[in-house]
Amino acid sequence: MIIDMHMHIDDIPALGWQMSAAQCIERMDEAGVDAAAVMTIADLPGINPQALELIADACGQYPGRLFGFIRLHPWYRQESLKLLDQAVNEHGFRGLKLHPVSSLAHPSGEDTIALIRRAGELGIPTLFHCGDEPMTTPLSIEPAAAACPDSIIVLGHMGGYFHVDEAIEVAERHANIILETSATPYPAKIAEAVERIGAARVVFGSDGPVSSPVLERDKIMIAGLSPEDTALVLGENAARLLGVPA
Amino acid sequence: MTIDGLVYLGQSRFGYGLEADELVAALDRDGILAAIVAPTHRPDHDFDRANVQVGQAAAASGGRLLPMARVDPWDGELALRQLNRAVEEFGARGLMLHPAEEYFRINDPRVLPLARRAAELGIPIVVATGYQGFSEPVQLTQFARACPEVPVILTNGGQFNISGLAQTDAGLALQLDNVFVHTSGVYRDDWIALVVSKFGADRILFASAAPVMDLRYELRRVQLAHVPEEAKVLMLSDNVTRLFGLNGTPS
Repeated sequence: MIIDMHMHIDDIPALGWQMSAAQCIERMDEAGVDAAAVMTIADLPGINPQALELIADACGQYPGRLFGFIRLHPWYRQESLKLLDQAVNEHGFRGLKLHPVSSLAHPSGEDTIALIRRAGELGIPTLFHCGDEPMTTPLSIEPAAAACPDSIIVLGHMGGYFHVDEAIEVAERHANIILETSATPYPAKIAEAVERIGAARVVFGSDGPVSSPVLERDKIMIAGLSPEDTALVLGENAARLLGVPA
Repeated sequence: MTIDGLVYLGQSRFGYGLEADELVAALDRDGILAAIVAPTHRPDHDFDRANVQVGQAAAASGGRLLPMARVDPWDGELALRQLNRAVEEFGARGLMLHPAEEYFRINDPRVLPLARRAAELGIPIVVATGYQGFSEPVQLTQFARACPEVPVILTNGGQFNISGLAQTDAGLALQLDNVFVHTSGVYRDDWIALVVSKFGADRILFASAAPVMDLRYELRRVQLAHVPEEAKVLMLSDNVTRLFGLNGTPS
């Protein structure tokens, strides 16, 4: 079973951000991906007030294939906490997405910590955009991992282009950190991550549909992992995190 | 036929390295005919020696490796002489500039004499692009505008952001006719398709940037791109052949 831990659906014509559930499914089929975590590009509350319903409808349209992550803006703490509860308890969302570039909320800020802790209480992981921009690097996110040991934190892109070594180091220090492989162009670093933190803490993601899930899947194959580790990275770990049968 | 538009050859002071025999083995493994090779920044900072080594490795490769010269603009007149020597003695087919590793700003006026010399020598310039403060795509736009007579090839699709946040800036650079981009590290498939549809398939070329990036993975990036097959032919071989004057490459 192959599960993509990082795909996007949104509908904001003003920004040119229109990615549909059907596009995700088409890309998933192209790559032999069975299921995917899907999330918007913009935060709630924000520019697309229908974001929760958009993701919930997409998941309802493709049951067993799309699993919702709610993307929230930490500065609206009380409203975001309420939306998080609603997304999980009423719509069956499986994760929280945070993107400090779009929200400008630092990962170690009190509002962000409150959301991550609530996600942990709800039994869902928090997926961070983790790249090279200020407030998104592994060392910027590390204090949040330390402050929320009972919450799973997934570093999306595992440090991007220039911070992959730091992502692995941070994951070595914090057992609640998972590394997600989308977009970063270094298959050898995926193999190194598996070696250093264990295959159970590395998950496949594509950041599709604008990127190629086929190519991102091939990156895992090029990493040259054992068949057992490949199975964990490509699907079994995500199944565990999302609470779906492997 | 596939030609890799950029591989770094030799040991770098920044920790990476690839030797000629390893590269040729990798080219054989992945069915790649030839590669444009640029020297790394060596631990001894001696660019002339690095150019000689790469030139000699290329000469011994039977046409599999095609050399570029690499110089440091901070070396002034010395860099100009090194560029001349690499072209005249070792047949360098391009000039590699790496602003981040040589610590200069690509749009610093002090770089322009090298650009003018490259134009006189009839060779393109490859710039390691996307490094903040050194080679941002808008800085490349200014540089390329100042030397319209020479092709300027931007690595990494012209930007280096994991969300593609500088893609619009890279698009501004591509509005100049003398700007081209490599496919190395461009994780957004829609950006590759957009460059082809908006700017033309003759403006983008396959390059692995190995060993900084992974040769096999970067080749797959182009093979899987959602662009017409004729565009892939241009990306994989025809564009690099045209830009670097490789018509003598064995096929």
